[in-house]
Amino acid sequence: MQSSTHRPVGKPDGKGGPGGRPPSGDLKSIGRALKYLQKQSGKALLPYLFLVVATLAQLAVPKLVSNIIDAVTNGVIANTLLDAINNKIPAAFMDQALPKLLEVAKAPADFTKQQLLDKLNLDVTNAPSYLLTAGITIVVFAAVRGVFAFLQAYWAERNSQAVAYDIRNDLYAKIQQLSFSYHDQNQTGQLMIRATDDVEKVRLFIGQGFLQLIGTIILIAGTLIILFTTNAQLALVALPILPIALVLVMVLGTVVGPLSGRVQMRLSALNTILQENVAGIKVVKAFTREREEEAKFETATRNLVKQQLQVARVFAFLLPVIFMVANLGQAAATYFGGRQIINDTLTLGQWQEFSLYLIYLFLPVAQLGLIVTQIGQASASGQRIFEILDAESDVKDKPDATLLPPVNGRIEFDEVSFHYAGNATPVLQGVSFTAEPGQTIALLGATGSGKTSIINLIPRFYDPSVGRILIDGHDVRDVTLDSLRSQIGIVLQETTLFSGTLRDNIAFGRPDATMDEVIAAAKSAAAHDFIMSFPQGYDTPVSERGTTLSGGQKQRIAIARALLLDPRILILDDSTSSVDLATEGVIQRALTKLMKGRTSVVIAQRISTVLNADQILVLDKGQIVGRGKHADLLEDNPIYAEIYNSQLVGDADQAQPELQAASA
Amino acid sequence: MFGGDNRHLFRGETSKPVNTATTMARFWKYFRHYWYALLLVLALVIISTWAQVITPELSGQVVDCYLTPAAASAGFGNFAGESTQTNAQTNCWLAADAPANDINHTAIRSAFLSNGTPSPSPDLTPDERIAGLGRLTLFIVFFYIVGSVLTSITFYVMSWTGQQALREMRVDVFNKLHQLSLGFYTKNDAGDLMARITADAEAIQQAFGFALVSVFSGALLLVWIAYNMLARSIPFALLSMSVMPLMVIATLFFSTQARKAFRKSRAEMGSVNAELQETISAVREVQAFNRADENIENFRQVNAANRDANVRAVSFTSALAPALEALGYVALAIVVCVGGAALLSGGELFGTVVSLGLVVTFMGYVQRFNQPIQQISVLWTNLQNAVAGGERIFNLIDQKVEIVDKPDAKPMPQIAGAVAFSHVSAEYNVGEPVLKDVSFSATPGQTIAIVGPTGAGKTTIINLIPRFFDVTSGSVTIDGIDVRDVTQVSLRRQIGIVLQDTFLFSATVMENIRFGKPGATDEECIAAAKLALADQFIGRLADGYQTVLGERGAGLSQGQRQLLSIARAALADPRILILDEATSSVDTRTERMIQQAFDVLLEGRTSFVIAHRLSTIQNADMLLVLDKGQIVERGTHKELLAEHGFYYNLYMSQFQNLPATGNTPAAPTAPLRPALQ
Repeated sequence: MQSSTHRPVGKPDGKGGPGGRPPSGDLKSIGRALKYLQKQSGKALLPYLFLVVATLAQLAVPKLVSNIIDAVTNGVIANTLLDAINNKIPAAFMDQALPKLLEVAKAPADFTKQQLLDKLNLDVTNAPSYLLTAGITIVVFAAVRGVFAFLQAYWAERNSQAVAYDIRNDLYAKIQQLSFSYHDQNQTGQLMIRATDDVEKVRLFIGQGFLQLIGTIILIAGTLIILFTTNAQLALVALPILPIALVLVMVLGTVVGPLSGRVQMRLSALNTILQENVAGIKVVKAFTREREEEAKFETATRNLVKQQLQVARVFAFLLPVIFMVANLGQAAATYFGGRQIINDTLTLGQWQEFSLYLIYLFLPVAQLGLIVTQIGQASASGQRIFEILDAESDVKDKPDATLLPPVNGRIEFDEVSFHYAGNATPVLQGVSFTAEPGQTIALLGATGSGKTSIINLIPRFYDPSVGRILIDGHDVRDVTLDSLRSQIGIVLQETTLFSGTLRDNIAFGRPDATMDEVIAAAKSAAAHDFIMSFPQGYDTPVSERGTTLSGGQKQRIAIARALLLDPRILILDDSTSSVDLATEGVIQRALTKLMKGRTSVVIAQRISTVLNADQILVLDKGQIVGRGKHADLLEDNPIYAEIYNSQLVGDADQAQPELQAASA
Repeated sequence: MFGGDNRHLFRGETSKPVNTATTMARFWKYFRHYWYALLLVLALVIISTWAQVITPELSGQVVDCYLTPAAASAGFGNFAGESTQTNAQTNCWLAADAPANDINHTAIRSAFLSNGTPSPSPDLTPDERIAGLGRLTLFIVFFYIVGSVLTSITFYVMSWTGQQALREMRVDVFNKLHQLSLGFYTKNDAGDLMARITADAEAIQQAFGFALVSVFSGALLLVWIAYNMLARSIPFALLSMSVMPLMVIATLFFSTQARKAFRKSRAEMGSVNAELQETISAVREVQAFNRADENIENFRQVNAANRDANVRAVSFTSALAPALEALGYVALAIVVCVGGAALLSGGELFGTVVSLGLVVTFMGYVQRFNQPIQQISVLWTNLQNAVAGGERIFNLIDQKVEIVDKPDAKPMPQIAGAVAFSHVSAEYNVGEPVLKDVSFSATPGQTIAIVGPTGAGKTTIINLIPRFFDVTSGSVTIDGIDVRDVTQVSLRRQIGIVLQDTFLFSATVMENIRFGKPGATDEECIAAAKLALADQFIGRLADGYQTVLGERGAGLSQGQRQLLSIARAALADPRILILDEATSSVDTRTERMIQQAFDVLLEGRTSFVIAHRLSTIQNADMLLVLDKGQIVERGTHKELLAEHGFYYNLYMSQFQNLPATGNTPAAPTAPLRPALQ
């Protein structure tokens, strides 16, 4: 009776097209994601520490290399000079040549020829060992750099994986706890994408982007300071480029955020089609709808690609522009720096140094473009994640919720009205009744009259719109969900079995149950015999949704599952509908025995249930139109009499003469 | 969801590595169609790599031609030019070390540098120099612009190509999912299958997008540098490249380890997805049984396994780049030390002349080697992840399809409705027969009811008619044609099936009904809904036929869902109708009215019914009583009751627990034959 017009989460519609609002790319979500790093405490800082060491080691290498060059140059110069002094320069010119030689050899001007010779010889002898030492030092620094670069990458990744782990756990826990009405309106496929792909996008930023961002900002700031202290004039030439590049980077960031949000939505749409096709494969095959579904999926993939290419276009346009702007800064420095050199206000060496620092300035700016797209993606994905984490479950524990003490089983509906979210049509209207402990309440009515809604309200799967539901006098909204639901056993209409063994499935509600308890429950539900007929018995693996078990077998597992809880309150929704006649008899007897002393609310499809009931509620269009015992209702209530005669008695009525004939 | 090892491996799928080359070759099959785009990318990359190489040269020329003071004599220019390249690429040793204006220093140096040739023009006036400077700067700007535009185009073309190829891969996997038999689905987790289309494909996308371009250009740069080195000095070139074998070994070692780790991490991602899929789609049961805490604990374990597998993979991938970088520095140290030693001992190395300039030039080359190698190594690790993902995708695509159309399968002609089972045996798992030697035949227009205890094989019989499964022995024929001899589509098009476990899509009510017959008009859909008595409740929904249903029909009661799937089947207008507990959750009165409607609709068509309600089966032309996979009795309801056999007992047990209530008008004297059970 409920429709899903109201959608709390921006999500694609059933056709796979994008609907809802794409995330805006708000940066708040990034901040929240980063808070997850706090859980890593000190470890969160490790990659930054390693980064500093690795960078220092890297910066040291060029210096070492230049030292080697010096050593080699000095050695070679010394060699040549020695050769010149000893062989080429005639002794007569030596005094004239000495000052020049001293200058070339970088020796003090007051050196004598002998002192110079000594120095040169020393240079020559020392050069090989200098060379060797420097070579070894380079290797050592390279090793240090390597180790720390590895540690930095490793820890960054490790931390980001830890964050992804935490976010995913939080998401999962939240999804498991969100109310039925939330799940009525959100598809599994798109929730899955948020817990996998969106988390991955956020993780990538935390693992790489954020680290790069910090490094880049530090590099830009440091370089700016150096540039201004070395050549303020030239720095001013290059500087106007910087804000232009930064503005472009910002534009890229703001554009990419919402765009990648849309990519994620399209991916969700694709996954929803996928999920439904995998889960509903039998229906697809039965109706030979493969071709149509394949076309639907193909459209979804095309939509996804289209959206991804839109991001690629923005990227393809803006990123090279940012790089170019950065390069133009470089070119401007070349030209204006060159002019200064030609005009002798700048030396070639200073200019070389300056342009090197310019690279340190503009490369990071260009890199910011890459980082900013990661930020955009991460913030859009982060928003999609926090949308779930922030979703208000309309059914949740009150802050002051108390534990529901072990109940006797008195259930009271007090003027309860109910409609599903997004649909104003009431499903229940002014329903009041009381079930005393141990009583059996049978719900009777046409398909869609509100029977299921009543039983959904007792374990608080939904909250009533008006009125209240009391168990032993406690409003179900005042107690914790755990303490409430753990005292209620439920057999739902649709039986879902989970992958795992049969034993696991029976012990679903009480994983700590002993094997004996499991077997006892299975026996009560008439499931023991067929379980034992499998070669692996209770250890038989059940594949997902129990496709290898027949409908009746699944249902009996579900009944055993509820029985194992030994609940005070038992809810049976059409629970034996697909069990064959013989089995139904067995189960019915087991249930009758079991219902004794427990409050049971049963959706009645069978005559025996109605006859055994302490109270029958006749429902019509969400209202109770008759109540009482079978005999009273049959007399007083024409609707009941009609339903009874047409729905329940029919079979037995027809069967009777035949049976008598047959047994005669 | 209860865990268990290896559950996300197909039969025959092991954690054994598939040959990387094989997987790559299969990737290529998807990229092959886009050879023209790849060729374009290649051409663009060659040009932009050239632009990348030429700009530092131009900067060098700026220094050589216009900035070097006139006093600098021949030879220095080349030296400076080379070193400028070094600056642009990595770190500047020149700026830090040798102030170029130290005229004496450089003059002496240049005296020893033998291989300089291009001659700057020492006699230019400052104005001429500035003009020349301007011209060259404009050249540089031009190359930057060309480079940027080319990069932009390359990026887009490559993204486009990667996305198209990946899209086709996804579509192939999805289509494969439709071909696989139902048996496959009973053995594999939906979420893991889904992960292959989403997460694994994503891993491939990361490696085969723009990243591939940096490998092209990186490889080109390597070739260019190697060529230049060899042209200058063969012994020195070999010396510089002496660490390359080590680099190759390191890459192979780390990537082998990484691939193993990635294979595990991809499988763990599959588990995470499976866990999500299973528990989110069954979240109502989870909450009804207060199971959230255990589930969260389970999920934490799967999630942690995924995290640990990823961290392990990363411990290899993040070691590769630093290891290669360190080796690059070792190469640098070798060049410096050997070159330096050669210079000191007279400037000869293996018979070739070594100058300081040559050593400096080679130092620049060695350092420039680093960048492309790093680029390639990053992609190399991405590639391992892609290969691991590709293996999972191709394993799925390679799954043997159990139910295939024969090569010479013909379309099923219009079905009259004679269904015959001849000595049919069937089993889902080898050695566990579900049906044993079942034979029966239905003539056109008959209604066949199948009854029997739970697990007797009723649903299996029904699954064999539309060929969801194949018989192990015997044959199923329709109008005398073996169902294995016709195409599945033409067969199933003529068979309507309503399952107890209804499956509705999160789409509008109208679309859900139209599922039965694509292209049906709204009027046809509404007529079908009226036939199935679904029209009334649909009218009460907020948006009527346009109401969007939640996943699997959330928001409707089970009975309402069954009515919708009946409408769907009615719309399909089948020649054979199969009802598997189709009305189990519909109240009896509605059920009877539906039946009457169906009687009209199915006039002259064959139908199969599984139901336990008497009203549904008593009018059947023939009842097949099944027990433990065999037909134990057959006949009409009356005949079977008179037989006092298995059916009689089965049937009687229904009334065993009716209490004796005097005022029940039709209640049989109870308890009825309790001894029968």
